[in-house]
Amino acid sequence: MKFTKYLGLRLLTWALTIWIGVTFIFFVPRMFPSDPVETMIGQIQARAGQMDPLQMEMLRRSLRVQFGLEGSLLEQYLSFLWKGLLQWDFGPSLMSYPTPVGDIIRTYLPYTLILTMTSTILAWLVGNFIGLQAGFRKDRRSSKIMEGIAICIYPIPYFIVALILQIVFAYILGWFPLQSTIYTFGGFGPFIRSLIRASILPALSLLLVSTGWWIISMKSLSSTVAEEDFVLFARYRGIPSGKIGRSYVMRNSIITQITALAMSLGGAFNGSIMTEIIFGYPGVGGLIQKAVLRSDYNMILGCITISIVAISTATLIVDLIYPLIDPRIRYS
Amino acid sequence: MLKIENLSTSYKTIDGDVRVLNNINFEIHDNEIFGIAGESGCGKTTLLKVLYDIIDFPLQVDSGRVVLSVRENGGTTAYETGKIRNAWWKHISYVPQAAQSVLNPITRLKNQFLDSIPEEYRKNEAKEETLKRVAQYMEELSLSPDLLDAYPFQLSGGMRQRAIIALATFMSPSLVLADEPTTALDVVVQRGILMMLMRLQRKLKNTLVLVSHDIGVHYQITNRMGIMYSGSFAELGRTDDIFRDPIHPYTQMLIGALPRIGDKTPRAGIPGRPPALTNPPDGCRFAPRCPYASDRCRAEVPEFREVRPGRFAACHLVQEEAS
Repeated sequence: MKFTKYLGLRLLTWALTIWIGVTFIFFVPRMFPSDPVETMIGQIQARAGQMDPLQMEMLRRSLRVQFGLEGSLLEQYLSFLWKGLLQWDFGPSLMSYPTPVGDIIRTYLPYTLILTMTSTILAWLVGNFIGLQAGFRKDRRSSKIMEGIAICIYPIPYFIVALILQIVFAYILGWFPLQSTIYTFGGFGPFIRSLIRASILPALSLLLVSTGWWIISMKSLSSTVAEEDFVLFARYRGIPSGKIGRSYVMRNSIITQITALAMSLGGAFNGSIMTEIIFGYPGVGGLIQKAVLRSDYNMILGCITISIVAISTATLIVDLIYPLIDPRIRYS
Repeated sequence: MLKIENLSTSYKTIDGDVRVLNNINFEIHDNEIFGIAGESGCGKTTLLKVLYDIIDFPLQVDSGRVVLSVRENGGTTAYETGKIRNAWWKHISYVPQAAQSVLNPITRLKNQFLDSIPEEYRKNEAKEETLKRVAQYMEELSLSPDLLDAYPFQLSGGMRQRAIIALATFMSPSLVLADEPTTALDVVVQRGILMMLMRLQRKLKNTLVLVSHDIGVHYQITNRMGIMYSGSFAELGRTDDIFRDPIHPYTQMLIGALPRIGDKTPRAGIPGRPPALTNPPDGCRFAPRCPYASDRCRAEVPEFREVRPGRFAACHLVQEEAS
């Protein structure tokens, strides 16, 4: 009974968060001084020369309808909520007119998700494992070396790591393509092969940097837990140290890391703009960048709405699984 | 049972080593409750840690050793300082001071019991079998076996302390060390826990070492006790004898300061404070506060010696009695 009340409340906050976020991104572009319809008409005029004023007026009106800029601000807002948020219809993209925004995102999102999800999860597993060793068995030489490597790599700016990988493995050694090419034709085999070949370097660059972060955060968490009374008392009970590491130190420090993992998985829907630009990998990050550069409002709106929904859903899931991993929350 | 020989320890600090235990010699016997009393900072907990072989930086043993002899497989095995940890929980167990935070907060008590029972003790039996024995043991201690399914945060302080005592005695160790087991509990719960410890000791016929700053606790349950002052024992002997006829001036003043029912005269405290361990006085450590101190007391460290059969004290003023 209590749980349903909690769930209801939590779902309400979830919906409220999404609504507030979406409202913001609806109004902010409309405060820009530039008008996308006029920009587009200008482009058409520049290409097609003079037009009949009557035709131009008709074109302007139909563009306004397609861009959702017709009617009063309130009408626009309501139709955006109805079509965009509930039916995932964000209208046509301006830069690749007239393909709908939804279709474009649907092509790019899987690539982004494959890359960011796998590298996030791998980095989390490896980083937490090493971080736990470094925090719990501080005196071991191997944990000191691993922690040292993490501390050295972590502060290097991401684009430098990515560029070094690109230069060494793609340019000098030539093991990977300089720009990712993924063959969407020619059958499943070539597609998978080209996808793997194109994702290894971007994934490696993401892994290197985020693993460093997980190592450092898990190390500080677990070394604090390792000093707690209940860990010392476990040692005094003669419990083998492997067991203490698993059931006492890890279980008590992993809780925070699970939250952080869910948050980064929510963020995975944004893609990683820098990775996608440097490695020429097709994904949502590059899409957002292009959309901003070319004032593709519908595209910006679409991408950001998806990421708002993804992140707030990730937080919702964390809040719902938290009681499963921490009994102190389950019973209070 | 437990023999402490010439034990000296110190803590390493940036300003040099601070001597905390000073040349301690004594024995703890089989089948007794031995109390260690003394004010805060006199080295009670440090002594207990060395007895249990918890020697972690910055604590170090400068000289001497602790020898634990236990009956094992028909013979007697001796564990020395540095090796005592091999006997942890099987022959020697420890009830810690801050019992409120010593259990893993996110696992049920039964798992913490299972964790503490080594494989060889479980004799290849299934988890459920072991848990059944644990539940039975809990009932013997008049604790509800339902506690095993609880998480530590669901228990009150007194319950948690009782559960820890059950945990520490389940494998019937020959020696149980309890460090201030009743601190931070109200007197009613305190009494319950002391009675539980006493009953357990009588049942197991093992040895209980009880550290407490509460002299009343020692009077109630210990058979023999030692009174520590500034890193070494001032006096040691049978508890009854010490209370009836204290020898050392410190013990005399300490017992003189205890309130007694029916006696309404104000009690005098001991003037002054214990010396800083970083810069102890020459001679007897108690001399600056002792009303009987002579020049000899201020210059020469008194030897801790047997002044009467079974009765030890470290004071120049005490004459040895011809036995």
